[in-house]
Amino acid sequence: MLKDHFFTLFLFSFLVSLFFAALYRIDFKSGVKSFLKTFLWMVLGSLAFAYLMFFTGN
Amino acid sequence: MDLKSILKNPYVISLPTLIVPGLSHFLLGKKVRAAIFFVVVLSTFFLGIFLNGGIFFLKESNWLYSLASLGEMGMGLTYFICLLTGLNRTSPEIISSLMFGYGTTFLISAGLMNMLLMMDAFDIAIGRKVYE
Repeated sequence: MLKDHFFTLFLFSFLVSLFFAALYRIDFKSGVKSFLKTFLWMVLGSLAFAYLMFFTGN
Repeated sequence: MDLKSILKNPYVISLPTLIVPGLSHFLLGKKVRAAIFFVVVLSTFFLGIFLNGGIFFLKESNWLYSLASLGEMGMGLTYFICLLTGLNRTSPEIISSLMFGYGTTFLISAGLMNMLLMMDAFDIAIGRKVYE
């Protein structure tokens, strides 16, 4: 399962979002908000980029 | 000069992170954050090892790998232990494995995150950053 492309993307996004939420946010509430925002941007952005490459590739 | 006064020096307090990720924050009294950083940075690094990411050193066949080694060095002691024991040292087998790119991304990211932790500890020590 760990060697699945989507799961790896998901895991990486989770770890990075958690790291930055803990590093830059002062209180718990804004930390959770920052975590969700970064996580969603990373997952959805990566998927959009992957599909863009898939559909524009030869 | 006792240990407490040595640890008040911002240049000194940012170094323990190179031994154990999050140790500087722990010594600065930010225990919950230290625990999060410890788990996140080490998980990222060891997932990179598990996914066959390459451990690089300065002189590599490809200049991008040499650049990547600078990022990985941010892990400090953990990186050098892997380097000395030869764990995931770049070889044709490692480079041609399916998850090499992903694993290497994990390893570089862990090193860069650890560097950010050092800078954060420095900022806290000089009073530039104040947590709750």
